[in-house]
Amino acid sequence: MTSLVSARNVSKSFGSLKAVDNVSFEIEKGKILGLIGPNGAGKTTLLKAMLGLTDCEGELSVLGLDPFRDRKALMQNISFIADVAVLPRWIRVHQLLDFVEATHPNFSRERVEKLLSETKVRRAAKVRELSKGMVTQLHLAIIMAIDAKLLVLDEPTLGLDIIFRKEFYGNLLSDYFDEERTILITTHQVEEIERLLTDIMFIDDGRILLHSPMDALADSYTQLLTSKSHADAARGLGPISENEMFGKTVMLFEGVERSRLEAFGELHTPSVADLFVAKVKGARK
Amino acid sequence: MIGHQMTLIRRELWEHPAIYVAPLATAALVLLGLLTGQVTVSAFGEAVDFGIVIAQNSTELQRTAAITGVLLIVTTLFALGALIVMAFYSLDALYAERKDKSILFWRSLPITDAESVLSKLLTALFVIPLVTLLIAIATHLAILVMTSIWVMMQGGDASHLVWSSAPLADAWVSSLVLAVAMPMWLSPFIGWFLLVSALTKRAPLLMAFMPLFVVPLLEKMSTGTYFFYNAIFVRSFLPPIARFGDISWDSNELPTMPGGDSFSVLAQLDLAGFISSPSLWAGMIVCALFVTAAIYVRRYRDESY
Repeated sequence: MTSLVSARNVSKSFGSLKAVDNVSFEIEKGKILGLIGPNGAGKTTLLKAMLGLTDCEGELSVLGLDPFRDRKALMQNISFIADVAVLPRWIRVHQLLDFVEATHPNFSRERVEKLLSETKVRRAAKVRELSKGMVTQLHLAIIMAIDAKLLVLDEPTLGLDIIFRKEFYGNLLSDYFDEERTILITTHQVEEIERLLTDIMFIDDGRILLHSPMDALADSYTQLLTSKSHADAARGLGPISENEMFGKTVMLFEGVERSRLEAFGELHTPSVADLFVAKVKGARK
Repeated sequence: MIGHQMTLIRRELWEHPAIYVAPLATAALVLLGLLTGQVTVSAFGEAVDFGIVIAQNSTELQRTAAITGVLLIVTTLFALGALIVMAFYSLDALYAERKDKSILFWRSLPITDAESVLSKLLTALFVIPLVTLLIAIATHLAILVMTSIWVMMQGGDASHLVWSSAPLADAWVSSLVLAVAMPMWLSPFIGWFLLVSALTKRAPLLMAFMPLFVVPLLEKMSTGTYFFYNAIFVRSFLPPIARFGDISWDSNELPTMPGGDSFSVLAQLDLAGFISSPSLWAGMIVCALFVTAAIYVRRYRDESY
């Protein structure tokens, strides 16, 4: 397989806290993977380990490299945006572009200029003079102008309005993504990127709860909307979660065939958010 | 690698305009002071004429000594300014990027931590002194031009009084030697400041200077010895580069120097003695250790993300 990222028994502890607890997974080329987890789940630590920003135990290989040891070589083929705004505030836009152009072999000045020409970002302005939205636009433009094999976006659209978010994800799909690239996204607004993803990974308490292609979810997971009278019978099939909504009972089943559930009520494919809540609650029990 | 370093150093100049603004401000102050002095002195007409006559009757050696004295005072002023800029710069270099979290952006680019820290060391050690030196040299020229104009306005012969006696090459080459040698001599401090700047969570200035006083004090109290006191304070003021100890200071005369009829600062510099001094190399090893530790801290520390 063309594994871009390969993790085997990867752990990272801070004192007695296990931020990443013995995880193993593969990420293949050409995927858009959503990494989803509550705050403090270990997402950021896992990303950091993959980006070579922190060391870890176990075997971790990204693009065939040891990320911590070969960070420089890795960064030539990875671009990432961290969850906190990080562009230096004192720098001027044209200086920033000059700097990245001089230090990054896969950066296209032409492309960044084109992306920025669609925004109101002035080249002579200092970053501190730009609005929060413009700073993010600038950062995203730089990231998208890097011809990277792996793009890591940690909460990329935090603090941006809905119009820009839609536009950004649209651009990401139409202009950036192709089968040669892989994108890894974490976000709190799962609903917005749900349709974009080819794969999802749930993580909580440093462990992976689910790692699956999106189109396999419909086969494995079914949401049942049933009335109280049928609820007991449906419960017999072992739902992984259950709650009440508008007088109806909503149950989520894993690995139960649809034909066996049809009799009890309406069937749906669960949203990623619903599935996530069910999985996390289930794992914490 | 070298291309990267140029880019990285250019970034340091963007981030820290004080590197050239501080010496430019010094230059402006010096020239303003000179102008004020000239205007004030011009009011004393007869005394000025008398002074010019004395100057014209003095020997070339005396005039050279006088002009050298003026240039040296100005150079010293710039050197003190550069030391302050170097200290503040090295304390800020690895601290500011963590404080504003821009370190995460810098580390998303294909640049190693060693390259980044090295660019900051090179900036402190070479760029700051050399930028300062260039501005100091321009100031020397401006002083001589302004003095010439003033001397001519007072009816003196500027080309004779000022230019023929101005030991420019000597002043500049010796300044260049000192501008390279002194930062190397003081490099353990720069290494220490860079390490503190990479380590500290707050107040880098305090964190850097407190140990400089506390450690010698603790040593004295515990073992009664003066190793750190000597290493930190005594050593700093005694770079083995100057032979000024040989100059004889007669009470009423200008100092005469060994060598008699020529007046040269450069001749007073003991370059061979400096380079072969174990203390210089020991200092540079200490600097290298501190800088290595700073690279290690920048690479391994996690808190910034």
